[in-house]
Amino acid sequence: MKLLRKEWRTRIALFLAVVGPGFITANVDNDAGGIFTYSQAGAQFGYSLLWTLIPITIALVVIQEMASRMGAVTGKGLSDLIREEFGFRLTFVVMVTLVVTNFGNVVAEFAGIASSLELFGLSRFVVVPAAAAVVWLLVVRGTYASIEKIFLAASGFYVCYIVAGLLAHPDWKAAAIATVTRPKSIGIRDYSYVSMVIAVVGTTIAPWMQFYLQASIVEKGVTVRQYRTSRWDVILGCVFTDVVAWFIIVACAATIYASGGPMTLTKATDAAPFALALRPLAGEYAYLLFAAGLFNASLFAASILPISTAYAVCEGLGFESGLDKRFDEAPVFYWLYTLLIVLGAGVLLLPHVPLVYVSVLSQVANGVVLPFVLIFMLLLTNDRELMGDHVNGRGFNIVAWTTVVIMVGLTLAMFVWR
Amino acid sequence: MSLVALSEMLGAPVRDASGVVRGRVREIAVAPQEHPTRIAYFVVRTADGERTLSPDAIKSAGATVRTTTEPTAWERYTPSDGVLLLKRDLLDQQIIDVHGRKVVRVNDVEMESTPVNNHLLLNVVAVDVGARGAIRRLSKGIVPSFTLRALLDRIPPRVIPWEYVDLLETDPARRVKLKIAYEGLSKLHPADIADIVEDLAPAEREAVFETIDEEVAAETLEELDPDVQKAVVESLDKDRAADIVEEMDPDAAADLLGELPEEKSVEILKEMQPEERHEVTHLLEFSEHTAAGRMTTEFIAVPETAVVDDAIEALRRFEGSREAVATIYLVGPAGKLVGSVPLVKIAISSPAAQLSDLSDPYVACAPDTPESEVAALFDKYNLITLAVIDEHGRLAGIITADDVIAMLRAR
Repeated sequence: MKLLRKEWRTRIALFLAVVGPGFITANVDNDAGGIFTYSQAGAQFGYSLLWTLIPITIALVVIQEMASRMGAVTGKGLSDLIREEFGFRLTFVVMVTLVVTNFGNVVAEFAGIASSLELFGLSRFVVVPAAAAVVWLLVVRGTYASIEKIFLAASGFYVCYIVAGLLAHPDWKAAAIATVTRPKSIGIRDYSYVSMVIAVVGTTIAPWMQFYLQASIVEKGVTVRQYRTSRWDVILGCVFTDVVAWFIIVACAATIYASGGPMTLTKATDAAPFALALRPLAGEYAYLLFAAGLFNASLFAASILPISTAYAVCEGLGFESGLDKRFDEAPVFYWLYTLLIVLGAGVLLLPHVPLVYVSVLSQVANGVVLPFVLIFMLLLTNDRELMGDHVNGRGFNIVAWTTVVIMVGLTLAMFVWR
Repeated sequence: MSLVALSEMLGAPVRDASGVVRGRVREIAVAPQEHPTRIAYFVVRTADGERTLSPDAIKSAGATVRTTTEPTAWERYTPSDGVLLLKRDLLDQQIIDVHGRKVVRVNDVEMESTPVNNHLLLNVVAVDVGARGAIRRLSKGIVPSFTLRALLDRIPPRVIPWEYVDLLETDPARRVKLKIAYEGLSKLHPADIADIVEDLAPAEREAVFETIDEEVAAETLEELDPDVQKAVVESLDKDRAADIVEEMDPDAAADLLGELPEEKSVEILKEMQPEERHEVTHLLEFSEHTAAGRMTTEFIAVPETAVVDDAIEALRRFEGSREAVATIYLVGPAGKLVGSVPLVKIAISSPAAQLSDLSDPYVACAPDTPESEVAALFDKYNLITLAVIDEHGRLAGIITADDVIAMLRAR
């Protein structure tokens, strides 16, 4: 008995040594855009989209696992590997489109910060510059270890969506059934339903996550030997993330959808109006939790996206990078990082915010870069010279290729449709 | 004599004497065992498989390669570990820029082509790591070549001369064949080597530590961030790790081994020479955060009756670190500490002067003194070294100022 307990303690210690990258990356996936999409899904279609979450979780685990395995085995970032294996020109194309799509995401995160705090009566002309400054300083002044603790805390804060879901008093039985079976009532021919399915899937796997995850695995110094444990970090993170997504959908389904539909919400561009709509239906606390959750998620993602972009681009194209370098030693790195924040936040202070254009541009770029990134990842994880014994197994490859084909198909469908 | 870039020649058509295209350039190879910079052959993809074309049969090379012989005269290409393939091993890969002391990525490779008696001599002269190589590769095949050349001429080159390039190769057998010995890297200051090593992937770090001189490796290891240090030692095989750890300052070695998993540190200790092992195990018994955990057992101590000349002789024979020689300690019977003489006083005194006359009142602490108090002593008495004495007043070791600075920075 004593021995058993000791073994468990060692296992937990081993796990705590590697926990972080996978959990954080999966959670940032529920950013301003993600929360908006899940809210829409619940408000427009009730429980009828919940069935997508289990396949989504599997896809997320499969893809994130490849990124973290590559990081642990090679000790190199994804953009380094793309450059080394696929040459300069392809790397350049991937990096340019990555910057465009990530810029769109940064704008969306600052929009989330602005609109969530506007619910509390704070002006965006104060909070957006302040948030930009906080993000810039946090990353430039912090060390990997200290930032990781802050990020893990931010990941934990997503619990507020679970509480908001509980406060919405959903029909548990209906929700549970809808999670494991696809409801027959809404047909596959319904255009708006299908495009919502695509949006939900599309928001789950973003190119930047793969770069960020692999880079943080390398930065944390996770090695091949620790890798088995590290896999649990990825799995746990993905499951938690989708549990949160489930509660967001359920909260909106049980209230907004149940009370007659989202008539005033069809023109919403972010998640804040959904929080407001929850207020009369689920009460003051649910509203506050929903709004605070949106602020947390947006700020969290806004802290990660610009720095992860700067690292990926500079490593891929061979510019000096790293927060241990001075501004004059790594000018491209710092300029890119700073401009992404300053311009991303600055867009929101313009008199007529061109959010629609930014988001269309971002989605188009995403549609271009995601197939490249996912296919490169599959080729790299199958390269024996690079991965040694840690190449994908046959069964894994079948699942992974299927996932990638579906993901790429849906992503392309999304920007062709819109 | 002219410069030609690797990216210009890759994919270039190979034309025979009558101007007919007989193949395309796929790779360019250097055989370091024959010549360190000279191009040994081109790998040409022909209608009849891949063949090697020697520069002896090349009249001109650039966007088109002109040869004087027929493909039937070219040998069949068989891949070999012993040659450096410029595209596969160099293009887009990371290298160490020894002159600039950093890790950089190669955008292009520059070769110098010299016509000699109707054929060419091609030599690798530099790697391009700047915008010029990048733009050349981006616009190749899109922008007409003469426009491109005119454009590229306006861009200031950022190249690293070949003699300052150290290649990263993780396969030890291939390192030998390619004659990669990290000679340039080893000449840098260990602190600079450490900065470079921290920028590398784990397998490449291992490659560097397997190859460079043990003494340099030991000094570099001391300069590394503790997490990286630990990872490097764990990746090395136990013999090599022991060889390097032996060369380290005993206090640094003890700190390092204390951080490793016990089985690993025991394994390394077993492989070490008895004398070094004894010193390190002795230090390992103390907590890292006390005076004893921070001290080194390599110091200079002479009998209290000694004269300046004796001290200088002791200095000559001393093998420990340079930081430790700032003070010469005087010991009485049974190794009891009785005084300390700063190096400066020895330098300016006559050879026959009695050391006991030059001695300062010494400052010392007990082995279990916490490190914060150690720092306070350095501050109060403006010390460069501090003696650590056991319960019988015997000199057990010394702490040097650089260790205190590292300790304060680590907080």
